[in-house]
Amino acid sequence: MLGHAMRSSGVWTYGVVNLGHILGVATLFGAVLVLDLRLLGLWRTVPLPSIAGPTVPVATTGFVIAAFTGVALLATKATEYAGNPFLLIKFPAIAVALLNVAVVTSRPAWKHMGRPDQAAGDRRTLAVAGAVSLAAWLTAIGAGRMIGYW
Amino acid sequence: MQTRRSVSMTLAAFVMAVLPAAAHHGWSGNSQEEFELTGTVEQAVSLAGPHATMKVRAQGQVWEITLAPPPRTQAAGLNEKAIPVGAEVKIHGHRNSDPKRFEVKTERVTWNGKTFNVYPDRD
Repeated sequence: MLGHAMRSSGVWTYGVVNLGHILGVATLFGAVLVLDLRLLGLWRTVPLPSIAGPTVPVATTGFVIAAFTGVALLATKATEYAGNPFLLIKFPAIAVALLNVAVVTSRPAWKHMGRPDQAAGDRRTLAVAGAVSLAAWLTAIGAGRMIGYW
Repeated sequence: MQTRRSVSMTLAAFVMAVLPAAAHHGWSGNSQEEFELTGTVEQAVSLAGPHATMKVRAQGQVWEITLAPPPRTQAAGLNEKAIPVGAEVKIHGHRNSDPKRFEVKTERVTWNGKTFNVYPDRD
């Protein structure tokens, strides 16, 4: 049904939805990049909650936009994308990235991020999460961009 | 400062890995030689997706005919109803450089004395 809507609603539909996908990804990754670099140890003078506060909802919004538009793009020619190897890199990478979010946000290190006496172990936990996040999202975006070149 | 350095090196490595691949889209995945194919329309023109497409049966194969992006293909007069299924058409373009793939990135489609020139700025 979604595929049919994408195919029959005008010649600019795919381009406009594609634009929405890019804006969603840009919003997501822009926010994620700032947060992850902070988790990795940059800008230590800025308190972590001051960065997590705005970046987490912005990233979430970007992800939701990217997910909805992405499903619509795939639905346009679902059968043709079925054998695309880059999809097999992209979706597991997204799964890793989301799992990383679930894991880190449930850790005490995340819950206590604002404490001035943050333990070195907590800092390391958050840095690892930031590194995993960057690697996973870069892989997802890189593989996603390559889908069209296969 | 060590983390800052490793972060920037990771980013630089990623950018360098992606750049060569970014030279795609367009004609680099296709043979330089002009290619012509005559066959019958197996599947009518579709104006959906990043490029308009159709399928043509020729030389015992079904060929993927990749046209211009949908707005440009439509501007050339080629739409879903322009050519009926079963009609004999001539395809002019560039074959996929992988000989195992029966795909033609197409510049012109000729049917019934009419030429649909989806890339008028190319030979």
